[in-house]
Amino acid sequence: MIASWRQTTVGTLVTAMMVVLLLRLWYLQVTDVEDSLEVAAAQQIRTVSIEAPRGDIFDRDGRFLMAGTIASMRVVVDRQLISLEEEESVLIPNLATLLAIPAAEIVAEFELRGSGARFPIGGEVSNSTALFVLENIGHFPGVSVEPVPVRVYPLTETAAHVIGYIGAPGSSDLEAGASPSDRVGKFGIERSYEEYLAGTPGAITYRVNAHGDILGVLEERPPQPGGSLITTLDLTLQRVTEETLTQAIALARQVGEDEVIRAAAVILDVTDGSVLAMASVPAFDPSAFSTGRISVDDWEAMQEKAVQNNFAIQGRYPPGSSFKTIVYALARQHSIAPVNEEEHEGRVDASDPTSYFCDGQLEFEATPLLNDWKPGGHGLVNLGQSLHQSCNLYYWSIALRIWEQRAELGEDRLQQWARLLGFGSQTGIDLPFEADGLVPDRTWFQRHQQQQTGVVRPEGGWAAGDVMNIATGQGALVVTPLQMAVAYAALVNGGTVWEPRVVQSVRDSQNNVIYTHVASAAGTIEISEDTIADLKRDLNGVVNSTFGTARRAFEGFCDTGVPDSECAALREVGGKTGTAEIRQALGEDGPDIDTAWFVGVAPLSSPRYVVAVVIDQGGSGGLVAAPAARRIFQYLMGETPDPLRRGDDTER
Amino acid sequence: MTMLGRVDLRDDPRRARPDVVMVGIVAVLTALGLILIYSASAPRLRLVGDDPNGQMIRQLIFVAIGIAAMIGTSLITDRSWRMVTPLIFAGVILLLLATITPLGVERQGAQRWIPFGVMDLQPSELAKPAVILALAVLLTPENEIGVSWRRIGKAAALVALPAALIFMQPDFGTMLVFGFITVVMLFMAGTTTRQLMILLVGGLLVMVAIIELDLLRDYQLARIIGFLNPGSDPLSVNYNQIQSQITIGNGGLFGSGLFQGAQTNLAFVPAQSTDFIFTALAEQLGFLGATVVLALYTVLIWRMLAVSVAARDKFAQLVAGGIAAMFAFHVFVNVGMTLGLLPVTGLPLPFMSFGGSFYLGTAVSVGIVNSIWMNRSPVPGDRRLASL
Repeated sequence: MIASWRQTTVGTLVTAMMVVLLLRLWYLQVTDVEDSLEVAAAQQIRTVSIEAPRGDIFDRDGRFLMAGTIASMRVVVDRQLISLEEEESVLIPNLATLLAIPAAEIVAEFELRGSGARFPIGGEVSNSTALFVLENIGHFPGVSVEPVPVRVYPLTETAAHVIGYIGAPGSSDLEAGASPSDRVGKFGIERSYEEYLAGTPGAITYRVNAHGDILGVLEERPPQPGGSLITTLDLTLQRVTEETLTQAIALARQVGEDEVIRAAAVILDVTDGSVLAMASVPAFDPSAFSTGRISVDDWEAMQEKAVQNNFAIQGRYPPGSSFKTIVYALARQHSIAPVNEEEHEGRVDASDPTSYFCDGQLEFEATPLLNDWKPGGHGLVNLGQSLHQSCNLYYWSIALRIWEQRAELGEDRLQQWARLLGFGSQTGIDLPFEADGLVPDRTWFQRHQQQQTGVVRPEGGWAAGDVMNIATGQGALVVTPLQMAVAYAALVNGGTVWEPRVVQSVRDSQNNVIYTHVASAAGTIEISEDTIADLKRDLNGVVNSTFGTARRAFEGFCDTGVPDSECAALREVGGKTGTAEIRQALGEDGPDIDTAWFVGVAPLSSPRYVVAVVIDQGGSGGLVAAPAARRIFQYLMGETPDPLRRGDDTER
Repeated sequence: MTMLGRVDLRDDPRRARPDVVMVGIVAVLTALGLILIYSASAPRLRLVGDDPNGQMIRQLIFVAIGIAAMIGTSLITDRSWRMVTPLIFAGVILLLLATITPLGVERQGAQRWIPFGVMDLQPSELAKPAVILALAVLLTPENEIGVSWRRIGKAAALVALPAALIFMQPDFGTMLVFGFITVVMLFMAGTTTRQLMILLVGGLLVMVAIIELDLLRDYQLARIIGFLNPGSDPLSVNYNQIQSQITIGNGGLFGSGLFQGAQTNLAFVPAQSTDFIFTALAEQLGFLGATVVLALYTVLIWRMLAVSVAARDKFAQLVAGGIAAMFAFHVFVNVGMTLGLLPVTGLPLPFMSFGGSFYLGTAVSVGIVNSIWMNRSPVPGDRRLASL
C-alpha cells in the first residue's frame, strides 16, 4: 500500500498549481482590467469614412459652372477587411480581369493608397458588373460597389482657370489633416474656397467580430455636403470672352505674328470690383484632374504651354502704352505739363499748358535719338490728343517734367501713383497664385542692379530715362491684366481701388447663405470729377477720333448699316491700346516680339465695365488686342459681336 | 476471505454508493460546460445561418454517451479492470496505430481521429486511462520495496510506445500528459526523492532534445517561441493568447454576465468552445466564477486522491492517483495557456471543452475512480465489516 503522505504531497502540489492560476487570473481580471477593456473595445469597432459631396459652383445667375458631384457606381476596396495574401492571390488578379486594368497598376494604386485605406478603383462600372461582383463576392474579398461622388465639369474648358481643379493632397494639405485618399482643391476657386467646398466627411461605426463581419451599426454620422459657391462670373460673357480670345490668337497669326502664345482677359465691374469674366486661352479641362488619371504626355503638353496657369492674374507683362492712361490721369489731376523741346517753343499753343509739339524724335542725354513709334511724329498735340494717338514723346516729356521737378514732386511721383492704383502688389483677388507685378524705383533698381543684369541696366544709377520708360509702360515695369483692370476701374469710378472678387456668396447644403462678400476697397485715390470727365472723353477719342489708335478696330461698332457718327454705343466706349516691347527682356538681339494690350471702359456716361485684354506675343495692340476688346464691348453694349478683323498697326 | 467479503459488497448495491462529491462536481462542470459551449458557438452559428444550438446539442450527445460509459465503468470492479488491462492497452495501441493508417482522418493538420458513427474517435484520449491502468499494473509488483531502476525503465518503455504514436500524429500536449502522469505514478509507487530528481532532469533533457533535433512541427515551435516573446507577432502566432487574455480581462471581477461577453460573442478567441472555453467562462462569469470553477477542480482532484488513499490495493491506489494527476495536469496546462502562463499546447479543459472523445475519456476515467471508491478497503467500524 502507498503511504498516504505521497497522495498528500501530490494534492499539495496540485493546490499550489491552482493558486498560481488564481494569482494570474486576479492580475488579468482585476489589476490589469483597464488595459483589457480598452483593447477589447477598440477591436470590436470599425469606422468607415464617407466622402462628403463637394459643393457646386454657379455663375451670378445661378447657372452651373460645374455640374456638381455626380454619383458614379464604382468598385470600392477596403483594405482593412482583407489580408495581404487574399489581396495578392485573389483580389488583385480578379479585379484586373473585371476592370480590365493591368494587375501592376492595381498594385501601384494599392501601394499609393496605403494599407488599411478604403478607396474606389477603376472607372464607372455598369449595373451588370456591379451585380456580378455582388453575386461572386467570394472572389472579390473586401470589395463593395457603391456610388462614389465624382466631380464633373460639363463646361470643359469654360472658366477652367477660375474654377480650377482638384487633385491628390500635397504635403501641406496632409499636414492640415487631409488623408491621402482625399481630393483637395489645387487651383482656382476649388483651392481658395476649399474650406467651404469640401464639406465634412461622414462616418459609419460598425460593430465587427473577429472575422471582420459587420454585426451592426453603432453610430452613423452622415457627411455634410460642401457649400455651393455663387460666383460673380456671367457665363454668357465668359463664353463670349473665351471665343473672342481664341479668335484673337487666330487673328494674330493671320497678321503674321506667328509667335503668339496665348491670350488673357479680365472683365471687371467697376462699381464693386466683381469679376464678370476672366479667361486665359488656351485652357484645360478640369475633369482631367478629378476623374481618372491624366496621362504623362498630356501633362507634359500642358506644362509646356503652361495652359494650367491663369495668365489673367499670373501673367506678368509690361503694359506698354496702355499705361499712358495712368500717366494721363496723374498729369491731368496734378497739372503736370510736358517739357517742350526748345526748338519747338514757338509752335505750341500758349493758351494750353498741355500743348506739345511732337516731331517724332527726342534728343535725350547721351543716348541715341529716341523715336516715336510714328515716323515724323504726331505734330501739335495736347494731353487729350496725346492719349488718342499714343504719342510716346508726350509721355517721355511728362516724365522729364517729373524728373526736373523731383524736388517738389518727389522723384517717384509716378510710381507712388501707380502703387496707389494697385500696381506692384497683389490685388487680393480670391484666387491663388496671383502675381505681384513690379513698379521699379531707385531702391528697387539699386537692389537688383547687380543681380538681374538682363532686366536692369548693369551700369549707372537710377535716372530720368528710367522714369521715361515707366511713363510708356516699358522697362522693368510689369503688371497683370487684372491689375490693369483694377486701375482703370479706379480711374473711372471716382477713385476706389477694389479688391476684386470672383465669389459673391456661399450657400450651405440647406441653401442658407453662409458667406456673402461685401465689396471692399484695397485703397482709394483722389481724382476729381473734371479729371474723370476728361479721361472718359479722351478714352473715347482713342476708339472714336480720326487719329485714335483703335479707330480702325472700332469701325462699324454698331449693327450693320448704322454709320459710326450715328452709333450711340460707340460714344459710350473708350479705352487705350498698348504694345509692349519685350525685346529688351529677351536681349538686344532677340526677335521683336510685342505683347498687345487693350484696356477699355463702358458705358462712359455711367461706367460699369472694364475690359482688359492681353495677346501674349500678339504684336500691335491696335492691330490685334483692340479688335478683341471691340467684340467684347459689342456684346456688353448690346450690339451683335462681329467676327474679329484687324485694326491699325500702331505703337511699334 | 477478504476477497469474498468484497464480492459480497459489490453484490449488495445498497452498500456500494458512488462517490457523490466527485460525481456531483463532474455533473456541475458538465452542465456549466454545455452553457458555455452554447455561449461561445451560438453567435457565430447564427451569423452563418446555422442552428445556434447545434454545437451544444452535439456536446449533449457526447455527454449522454459519456454518462453511459461512466456508469458502465463504475460497475466493473477494480480487480476486473486489472485483469483486462493488457487487453485494453493492446486495443488502444491498435487504435493509435490505426490513426496513422488510411483509416485515420486528418483535421486541422493533425491525424488524430478515426471516423466512428456519430463522432470521430480520438484514440489518444482513451489512451490516457489505458496507460494509467497499464502503468499501475507494472508498478504493483509483489515483494518490492521502493521502485527499482529496472522497473522505472520498464515503465518508461511502456509509456514510450503510445507516446511515440501520439507524437507522430502529432499531439505534443497529450505526450506531455503522459510524462506528467508517469512521474506522479512513479512517485506514488515509492520512488526516492533522488530517483525523482534524476527522472525530472532526464525528462527535461528529452524535451530539449526534441526541440533541438527539430522533431517539432513548425507551428509547435512557433507557439513556444511566441510564448517566450509575447507580443512579437500579435496577428499570428500569439494571436490566440493575446485575444484570450484580453477576453479574460474583459470579464473583470464579476464577469459580463451569461451570453453578454462581447469578446466571446464576437468570436475574437479562436477555438473558444474547445481549447479556449475557459476564456468564455472567465469573461462571462468573471474572476469569481472562474475561481469557483478552479476550486471545484481542486476539490475533485483532492477527492480522487482521497479515493487513492482509501483504495483496497496498490493497483487501485495508483490508478486513482494517476487519474487525479491526469485531471490536474489538464486543468493546469489548459487554464495556464489561456492565461498566458504556458504555451499553447491544445489540451482541452476536462468536462467543459467541446469534444466527444475527450469527454468519453474523462468519463471513463471518472467511472474507474468511482469503481475504486465503491470497492475500497473496509474501514474500521464500517457496518459492512460487521456483517462479515
